[in-house]
Amino acid sequence: MTDDLEAPSVPGSAPGHLSPGDVGLAQPRDFVYGHPFTFRSGQTLPGFTLRYETYGTLNTTRDNAVLICHALSGDHHCAGWHSPEDRKPGWWNNLIGPGKAVDTRRFFVVCANVIGGCQGSTGPSSADPSTGKPYGIAFPFVTISDIVRSQKLLLEHLGVDEVHAAIGGSMGGMIATQFSIEFPSLVRRVLAMASTARESAQAIAFNEVGRQAIMQDPAWNRGDYPRDGGPRVGLAIARMMAHITYVSDASMDRKFGRRRSPAQGAAAADALDAPFEVENYLRHQGQTFINRFDANSYLTITRALDQFDLAQAYGSLEKAFVPVQAETLVVGFASDWLFPPEQNREIALALLRAGKRANYAELATDLGHDSFLLESEELYTLVRGFLEREQVVFDFTI
Amino acid sequence: MIKPVEKRTIDMQIIGGWVEPGSRVLDLGCGRGELLDYLAQKKQVCGVGVDLDFSRITACVRRGVNAYQGDMTAFMRSFPEHHFDRVICSRTVHELNDPTGVILEALRVGRSLTVGFVNHAFWKNRLIALVRGRKVRNVVYPTEWFESRPANPVSIADFEDFCGKKGIRIVRSVHLLGDWKRPCPVLPNLLAGYALYDLTGR
Repeated sequence: MTDDLEAPSVPGSAPGHLSPGDVGLAQPRDFVYGHPFTFRSGQTLPGFTLRYETYGTLNTTRDNAVLICHALSGDHHCAGWHSPEDRKPGWWNNLIGPGKAVDTRRFFVVCANVIGGCQGSTGPSSADPSTGKPYGIAFPFVTISDIVRSQKLLLEHLGVDEVHAAIGGSMGGMIATQFSIEFPSLVRRVLAMASTARESAQAIAFNEVGRQAIMQDPAWNRGDYPRDGGPRVGLAIARMMAHITYVSDASMDRKFGRRRSPAQGAAAADALDAPFEVENYLRHQGQTFINRFDANSYLTITRALDQFDLAQAYGSLEKAFVPVQAETLVVGFASDWLFPPEQNREIALALLRAGKRANYAELATDLGHDSFLLESEELYTLVRGFLEREQVVFDFTI
Repeated sequence: MIKPVEKRTIDMQIIGGWVEPGSRVLDLGCGRGELLDYLAQKKQVCGVGVDLDFSRITACVRRGVNAYQGDMTAFMRSFPEHHFDRVICSRTVHELNDPTGVILEALRVGRSLTVGFVNHAFWKNRLIALVRGRKVRNVVYPTEWFESRPANPVSIADFEDFCGKKGIRIVRSVHLLGDWKRPCPVLPNLLAGYALYDLTGR
């Protein structure tokens, strides 16, 4: 996900946390699981922590939980604000809040940073209790299934018996889908946007370039680097390249065109060495990212993305979906060339072939993969309709 | 003048009468999901609709009707033979670019196919064409020639001729008069306003 679409900041406007549609100040919490956890790889951790946030209230029947699943570089902070001074709210603040498409007056929204991540959940940058040093590359190999099974433990801890809906974009869509396969009776609805049941060679290729940028940076040092150091150049380049895959030719052209940076001054604007705005923008994206993301986590989670292959894991996509009880809504975006509409369609089609309840809708945006973060009334209406659905019995008698 | 809503209701009742309870139904050109909603309530069908328009898919999702946004032929090609008990093509056939392709594909993925359409050879249409000498416009074909979607006005005679040539078996049919309510006893290609066919492949 890109940082700018994640949460558009509006300079000069009233502080967003005072807006009645927002969840207000959000309090991150830690779920500490004190028992050994075995990953799909067979590797174990003596325990783990998941950092998470919740908005809204769990009802007495414990069935109004909505699980939000984040993408590669996202985190648990999907709505509201951490402090009144925050420049930006949570990454899906436009979708989640009182009266919004995911209505926190109605739903108990849960979002956790994935295991293997670096925003407070246990990951490669966490200290290995046996050595006191960060795990680094010794951290277990993480799969989407491991992410799902660790979050299931969080849901149990929160007393959630039934998930009204698991919602996610990109990798979040994979997690939501995997949830409905591994815990069929837990999940009633799955909403997967800009997702895939397996990445194409092209998507894997882009991830590999990012990983090589990190690993070829001498400061990576086989994953052994201090907390404030590490492969900052490599990670920034990985992010810059990945960012291009999240947007589209059309949206970049609209945003930057061939404009030169105004920082160079009017006189220098025509000079050959004046950087294009898009260059500065990508550098800024890279610099912002290295201050909030861990390089080893980036390696870990991109590998989890690349390894995700439902057809291979279960024999076929239809076989993978056999246990599913949830109704699924897949939303694709016409301009998404990373996880293109065809791959989104395939999820819905395979579910239908397996005799499951599934829907596919496609939005004609030109913003690329990150379109799922778009502020779109059309998308909100669809999401709200799927989550709340009118239970009207129509009178068909004459 | 009979109201469009009521016309729709009679249409749905006839189609509903042909649908087996609890069967698996595909609705091509499902619109806002009214028919599948009706069939789910009356016949407990397990249905899915296909349509091209995002807002119509949204309407289906809101009422709990499963829907898929995309091309109907491409959709059907991704299903095995006889995956559906019944495919329904209600008031869609005249808007198809490739009716033959869609109908033959529907007969492959469905054990049976219901087609419902407005008879373009209805006497009033003939009269309008004869007297005015202009493109026939009515409730079903409301647009001028220069603003219309691709349309293949189809008549009962055209359709039955097509079925014969393609070896498609007409299991049963219903022809309704201009009020789309009372059965048409004679000369359907002239007197019927609406036609419904229940088809299977040979």
